[in-house]
Amino acid sequence: MTINFTMMAQNSDIDYVRQAIACAMSIRYTNPDSKICLVTNDVVPDKYKLVFNDIVSIPWEDSAHQSTWKIQNRWKSYHACPYESTIVLDTDMLVLSDISHWWDFLQTKDLYFVTKPITYRNELLTSVHYRKAFKNHNLPNIYTGFHYFKKTDTTHTFYKWLEVIMNNWELFHGQYAGGSYFQKFLSMDVSAAIAIKILDWERHVTYNSLSYPTFVHMKTHAQNWKKCFNERWQDYVGVYLTDDLELTIGNHKQSGIFHYTEDDFLTTDVFGKYERLLNNA
Amino acid sequence: MTRGVVLIANNNESIDYILQACYSVNNIKKYLDLPVTLITDTPDLFKTKYVLYEKLFDNIIEHTPYGDYTVKTYRDGFFDSKPLKFKNSSRASVFDLTPYDETIVLDTDVLIFNNNFLKCFDQMHDLLIYRNTIDVCGGRSDGEFAFISDASVDFYWATCIFFRKTLENEIFFNLVQHIQENWNHYRLLYQITSSVFRNDFAFSIAIHIMNGSTSGDFVKEFPGKLLYSTDRDELVTIYDDGVLILVEKTDNVGKQTPLRTVNTNIHIMNKFSLDRAIKNDN
Repeated sequence: MTINFTMMAQNSDIDYVRQAIACAMSIRYTNPDSKICLVTNDVVPDKYKLVFNDIVSIPWEDSAHQSTWKIQNRWKSYHACPYESTIVLDTDMLVLSDISHWWDFLQTKDLYFVTKPITYRNELLTSVHYRKAFKNHNLPNIYTGFHYFKKTDTTHTFYKWLEVIMNNWELFHGQYAGGSYFQKFLSMDVSAAIAIKILDWERHVTYNSLSYPTFVHMKTHAQNWKKCFNERWQDYVGVYLTDDLELTIGNHKQSGIFHYTEDDFLTTDVFGKYERLLNNA
Repeated sequence: MTRGVVLIANNNESIDYILQACYSVNNIKKYLDLPVTLITDTPDLFKTKYVLYEKLFDNIIEHTPYGDYTVKTYRDGFFDSKPLKFKNSSRASVFDLTPYDETIVLDTDVLIFNNNFLKCFDQMHDLLIYRNTIDVCGGRSDGEFAFISDASVDFYWATCIFFRKTLENEIFFNLVQHIQENWNHYRLLYQITSSVFRNDFAFSIAIHIMNGSTSGDFVKEFPGKLLYSTDRDELVTIYDDGVLILVEKTDNVGKQTPLRTVNTNIHIMNKFSLDRAIKNDN
């Protein structure tokens, strides 16, 4: 089955293109018939270009050229993507198993967002540590790290709103997620949640009765740990990736989509194992 | 198909586990009407100290616990505690030792006041164990028994186990024995800071492995609920239908309030107070 994936990468002090290559390699291994598009203005090394079906430039001017956390262009994924429908992933993810049954479900939707990420222990993520604005302002609890769209008039309307909100984020975040929980930086999740709230589409673009699609979200304070003192989750649990790419975190075997969040998870050892296996395939 | 209950009692210098077993067997007979086997490292005591109690058991099996005993702190309420020998390594061998096809293994400090455990025999799952038990004083738990350590795997209570003699369960108990024999390795791998071997932890790790190191359904939960009273509480009286306990108050450490249970099975963690209550009852 052909599943379409799209990622956007803009390098800063973090090499997001490298993350996107690793993610694409993980998709090639677990969902080999997929199409993968990378939206980037950065250079993709020649030897990794073949892992993508399409590499396209970020449309229009670069709205993030003055930012270190370059998310200002993320709304452009919709316009840049060459596919009629796609899963949009953050680059700091690995796809660890066949998710074709998710694709079957997603194709019944125009637009869909994950609302139920899980911990590495397969618990529902319930912490509001990173979600105070969502809780306080009753925003749809969506995660754009994994979302899906089909190019329709409905979806186009959403992305037009997302464009307006992200280009005027201080105004919209202040109005819909302001007060004591106002985030002093642009957030893709908050912006998308505001767009959904304005359009009153939460029930159309989420589905709380289903446990999938989902992803393992490795933000430290979301892991239901009593004691955690810093944001580097690798300080608390062991990481083990076998040569045949089975990932174990804290003695828990991982499957589905793994959102590692910390760039130094993607060591040369981890990257190299994916590269070696694909080269040998 | 034979059915029965197995109790394991290895006395140390202060806690009389055999006396607890002798007391417990009465309620097991009363509520479950099942044969009871005792596994102990000191069967000779039935010729001297417990002469009158030997007939309570259908079988008494001698078994020397694996390896050296460890020492752990036994608490007696909030104010008192003692380091004592902890001879708890016979449980992993119970698959081989039990004379029954279907076995319920119980700690000697589990007091039976209803027949819920009989439902084990009328269901299809071959291995039952508690994932969740209930603090007799609600609201005190801060998730202490959710995981074997903060970032590790699910906690299961080896306090009560139901199993049938299947090949899968033989593999499971062999795995528990392997974990026991290599405890230092496994406790470090699973982030357990204490070096004291604990059956709850070994069984929890084995269940996790049998589940393919992910969440799974290799074991199922026992029918009915099991209460527990912590070792900071104090068992005062055992009645025909329940117990009277002084429980430590939620937000007043060291202060207690009386609590009476009725027709509910309960795990008494304060072994000293259990011994005292049994002796008072006798």
